Amino acid sequence: MELGSAMKIRKFKGTVLSKMSIYGKISIFILLVILITGALYFLSGSDSHRIPTGSSLEPPSLKHFLGTDDLGIDILAQILYGAGISILIGVSSGLLAGLGGSILGVLAGYYGGKIDKILMGLCDIFMTLPHMPMILVLGMFFGSGIGNIILVISLLSWVRPAKIARSKVLLVKEERFIILARNYGAGFFHLLTKHFIPLIFPILMVSIIKIISHGIMAEAGIAFLGLGDPTVKSWGMMLNRGLNFSGIYFTPFWKWWVLSPLLCLISLILAISFISRGMEKIINEKL
Amino acid sequence: MKKHYLLIFTTILIINFFLPRFMPGDPFLYLSVDDGNVSVAYSEKQIEEYKAYYGLDRPLYIQFLNYIKGLLKGDLGYSIYYNISVLELIFTRLPWTLFIVLTSLLISSIIGVFLGTVSAYSRNGFLDKFAYFSMTVFSEIPSFLLGIFLLFIFAARLGLFPLAGGMTAFGNFQTKLYYLIDIIYHGTLPVLTLSLVKIGEFYLLARSSMLTVLSQDYIQTAKGKGLKKKRILFYHALRNGMPPIVARIFMSLGGLFGGAILVENVFSYPGVGRLMREAFLVRDYVLIQGILLIIAIMVLFFSYLSDVFCKKMDPRIG
Repeated sequence: MELGSAMKIRKFKGTVLSKMSIYGKISIFILLVILITGALYFLSGSDSHRIPTGSSLEPPSLKHFLGTDDLGIDILAQILYGAGISILIGVSSGLLAGLGGSILGVLAGYYGGKIDKILMGLCDIFMTLPHMPMILVLGMFFGSGIGNIILVISLLSWVRPAKIARSKVLLVKEERFIILARNYGAGFFHLLTKHFIPLIFPILMVSIIKIISHGIMAEAGIAFLGLGDPTVKSWGMMLNRGLNFSGIYFTPFWKWWVLSPLLCLISLILAISFISRGMEKIINEKL
Repeated sequence: MKKHYLLIFTTILIINFFLPRFMPGDPFLYLSVDDGNVSVAYSEKQIEEYKAYYGLDRPLYIQFLNYIKGLLKGDLGYSIYYNISVLELIFTRLPWTLFIVLTSLLISSIIGVFLGTVSAYSRNGFLDKFAYFSMTVFSEIPSFLLGIFLLFIFAARLGLFPLAGGMTAFGNFQTKLYYLIDIIYHGTLPVLTLSLVKIGEFYLLARSSMLTVLSQDYIQTAKGKGLKKKRILFYHALRNGMPPIVARIFMSLGGLFGGAILVENVFSYPGVGRLMREAFLVRDYVLIQGILLIIAIMVLFFSYLSDVFCKKMDPRIG
């Protein structure tokens, strides 16, 4: 613990890029491309993801790089818009579940006793509940808006960060440097910011990234079933519309209409999971 | 341990009972139709009557007791949309789901464990590296996306498998054998999808478990005794590496059900997943409650089985 927390975190960030395997580097590149193009589309304020700009079911051309769907809406624009939606849902549910879960975990580990017992009981319950059906049911009861979907996904995925944070805190709680700090009058908040957060941060990042990819998957699944927010055009919803179009199996339309959101979803999820695997490896080496 | 399962089961019952009652809206308002031509609006008095009929005017705890009483008798209520008993409806669909879920669990666990064991033995060899990479990829792809992919390649383009359904509609089968073949033929793609995703998971687990076992001293001894590679791997090592794998195989059932809900909808397979989506689309609360309860019971049952098996295999686990 010679290094200050900020320095440690900075050093961690530095090692991530240099130690990442080649797959990890490619993944970071793919993720950046998706992020930047999605952000540029949002900034341009274009409406072409919901307003028809061509005739219906056009094959890819110079005007519409990925063709158009049955309503004549440009598919590339929908893909770019969907990227933003996926990342928004993934990142916010990851942050919400990760931060919320780890705060609960730190409290449980630090104070122990009843809080700990209740929290561990809750963790057991949430771990055993079948996730996908629960997400669908809760999503239906809360309503299908984006905010509610984020809430439901985080509600079902805070367990892992909570357990990680709790076990880490339990591990160091009785260490000499913590007791020493406490004897000098350090309160919970001081211990949290100076000792617990730097300890938990790297491993928490990995679990947040995992939740992000689960969140993206869950949202795609909900939208694919046609149970998502009908006003938000996500990749899952494009798949749903494409597959429900009669004759999609017997015409060449699927090559751009179904394949593009499908490949985008798969590459985004794979990229995120390779990054999390890479980071996990780096952390394990350090321990 | 029994207390633990009881606690989880009670939680599920409570969620199942209270969620629909605490949500905004009123089933009788949904029943009031007004589509321009027909206008059925219930008067206050009629709604009161219906509430009394369904027992909704009584205090919540009495309703809850009645719900539990009904459950004990195996009564899950009547589906609002299909107008038949929920239990009957679920049990006509459940065999389809169980068929694809259990078959893919079996296939993926056998292939995954075998590949993982071999891969761990030839660590860092070409085979290991190739298998590790491809399995990582497969374990991360969500099952329904893989399903759409397979559907378009094998069913739509190549025409090898049917596009939808669990069996040929109105098919005329001479013998039971043809019937069975038809069901397997229709189930191939869903099973393949679920298996491919799970193989990766079991492979990675088996590989890491075997890597720890293979570095133990008794494996060295076995090698020193001049035992054959096959015997060392599948008799000495696999036996000790099995407990975490078996636990995961049983525990992964919940995830498989979740995957099956989506995959069944990709292939229009007539299982519980498809029923669940239909129930969601028509807001059939009674049916949704019933499905959730049945899935939860099965997941709990399998996680209990996993505990029992692990204890049998490794008595050190308390």
